[in-house]
Formats: sequence, structure tokens, C-alpha cells
Amino acid sequence: MDGIHDLGGRQGFGLIDVDEPEQPFHHPWEARLLGLVRAMGRPGDWSIDWFRHCRELIDPVDYLTRPYYDQWLQTYAAMMVKSGVATVAEIAAGTGKPSAVPTSPPMKPADVDSAKRAVVRFDRDSRAAAAFKVGDAVRAKGHGASGHTRLPAYVRGRRGDIVAYHGAHVLPDANALGEATAEPLYTVAFAAAELWPEAAGRRDSVRLDLWQSYLDRP
Amino acid sequence: MTKHDPAAIQAIHRELHEHLPSDSALRVKALESVLVAKGMLDPEAVDRWVEVYSEEIGPKRGARVVARAWVEPAFRARLLEDAGKAIEDIGFEGWASAHLKAVENTGVIHNIVVCTLCSCYPIAVLGVPPTWYKSAPYRARVVRDPVGVLDEFGVRLPEGVEVRVWDSTAELRYLVVPQRPAGTEGWSLERLARLVTRDAMIGTERDLPLGPGKAR
Repeated sequence: MDGIHDLGGRQGFGLIDVDEPEQPFHHPWEARLLGLVRAMGRPGDWSIDWFRHCRELIDPVDYLTRPYYDQWLQTYAAMMVKSGVATVAEIAAGTGKPSAVPTSPPMKPADVDSAKRAVVRFDRDSRAAAAFKVGDAVRAKGHGASGHTRLPAYVRGRRGDIVAYHGAHVLPDANALGEATAEPLYTVAFAAAELWPEAAGRRDSVRLDLWQSYLDRP
Repeated sequence: MTKHDPAAIQAIHRELHEHLPSDSALRVKALESVLVAKGMLDPEAVDRWVEVYSEEIGPKRGARVVARAWVEPAFRARLLEDAGKAIEDIGFEGWASAHLKAVENTGVIHNIVVCTLCSCYPIAVLGVPPTWYKSAPYRARVVRDPVGVLDEFGVRLPEGVEVRVWDSTAELRYLVVPQRPAGTEGWSLERLARLVTRDAMIGTERDLPLGPGKAR
């Protein structure tokens, strides 16, 4: 979707907080929220891309101003309400009855040591043929999809070169909708000068991992 | 199966905005207690995860990976070939490490990593990302003006160095392998690992100092 989250190349945001202290968390609640997300039981219809899409759907003002883990909180709360495991009133009150919607069992403390090493793969066996090969020139599609998608606005319609092929990976656009589709995935290098007028004459590039349906022949 | 309906989610967000406390700490308390009340959460498992991400899984892991690549050519080759597999040697595999990709700086190439669409980061080897990495200024600017961003971090690139910005749009996660500093011949892996900073593995630092870290 053409949402507020698609920030690449936007101007006017100002300076980066380069003096931020290096410790992983700056408030106890941040660590708590991350731990909670990793440990909670969840309904069967959630996925990483549904989570990302639900975060993209936060009100644009909140997206730019609420703290990062607070946005995670609101996203998980929204997913819980949508899946029917809790109501807004229950979350606001911090109490409620067990939901009728089944969820996976909550993680036990003893399971954290194996869970922290669990690896989730996104490549899939697929008969979808690769339409491009390394070295091919491609052009990113000129418009985005209105649902969840991972084609940022700043490369749309721009010409790039395939620099790597990764086999078929789960397509986020479909995964966000609960559909299992995989597509060939490529790393595409775009010359900075192709993307930004002020980069004329520079040799720099921006490299993105893009699915086949995001790309056309140039 | 829930219908994945964006308009419904937007309506729920508005309702949550209206009814949840504004203070983040209070919001987290409320969410934790509703999850416990519903039998969906064991708070002691949360405690364990907090320990893991506060003390165990952090940039010291990535530093070890980099230092090993410096001293062991066979490991370097395997790291550049399939970093997700190579780090299993050290037991560092985990969240988002399946499709880890190591990209190496050279005298003429500088790599820098971002996620413009959200906050994708190689957590298994660097721990949780800094707030600036997830914030609008970095995400907006680094794809467009990497030289200006590096300058803000105190990095002046030598003339003729090509910048490669990696925007993590899929499930690949990028780890920058900085150059080994001159004058470290014969150093042990442990001593080398102490030189490698988080920012150098994101790409917002380039030349690793041998003495105490940079002062800005």
C-alpha cells in the first residue's frame, strides 16, 4: 500500500540520533513488550507479513510519533481484536476471559533456550520458472499494490540489474492474506543516478530484494 | 480463518488509540495482564526473553563472526557463500538468520544496511536494532544520501569509494563485514572481536580504530 511506512527517499525528516546510548533497551517496558511478543500464544492465522501490514495500517500520525515498540504493541492488540481473541475493552482494562478462538500454548520459560535458536525459512520448492537471470536488466513495476507489498515507491518504474537470484521465496503480498504463494526472488541493483537527480555522476547503488511479479523487462 | 481486512484493522487502530492509555509503560502492563488472564502468556517466559535480548544476543556475536572471517579464510569463504549456514558453526542461528547475507567492505566498496519499509535487521547476530535504525530520518535518507548520512556518523569516505546501500525488502538480512584494521597481524580472534562495533556491521562506521572507540 502507498502508506506512511514507505519512507525511502522522503525528505524533511531531519537528523539521525547518532548519540543514542548503545544498550539494547532504553525503557524497561520496551524489553517487556519484546519478550511478551516472543512468549505469547497466538492464533493460527497470523504471519510476519500480516503483522507488517497491520503496522502499516496504524494512523500515519501515530506511525511517525509513537515509540517503535509501542507501535508493535498496538499492532498486536489490533491483530488480537481482529482474530477474536480479545476485545478493545478487555485490552484497555487488562483483564478478560479465555477466548473461544484457539491459540498456540504460551511458551514456557524452559522452552526459550531452544526457541531462541529456531530458524524460520522463507524459501520454498516451487516450479515457478525464473524469468530473469543474473546480469539481466529489469524495470520495477510503475505502481504499487494496495494491500501489503514490498516494492518501495522510490524504485517504481526505475531500471535496475539483477545481481543475485535466490530461488522461490514466500510472496509477502499473498502471505499477508494467509495465502501460501512463492515466487522467484532476486537482488536488483539500481544505480543511485537512476533513482535520484542529485546523484548524477555517482557510482553508488541501492540494492533491493524483489519478487518476480514486481519486475518487468526494461 | 479471519478475513484479512485492512479497513477493519484501521478501525480497530482508531478504537485502540482512543481507549488504551497513552503512556507506553501502562499500555504494556495492560496487554501483559490481559494475555495472562486469558491463559495466553507465562510472565516468566517473558523474563527469560528479556534476559536473552539484554545480555546474550547482541553485537558481540556479530563481532565474533567478523573476527573469525578475518583470521580463518575457510570460514570467510563459507560466510560469504551462505552466512545463515556458516553461523550455525558458532550456534548463533535464530530469529531471522535463515537467509543471512554477509557483504564485505573493500578499499573501493562500502556497504550500508537499511530497511526502508519497516525495521528488518540481523537480530540473531546483532541483537535488537538501535532506535535510529528504525526511525524515519535514517530510513528516509540513507537510500538517497548515504554520503550525507555517513558524514553525520562522522565517516568521511575516501575519494572513489563506491557505496552499496542494501534495503532489506525481503527475508534476507544483511551483515556488513568491515575491513580488518592494519597493524593487527597476529592478534587473537578474541582481541580482534573487541575492535568490531555494531555500527561497523550496519555500515554507519568504516575504519575501526585500534584504540578506544570514536568520540563524537
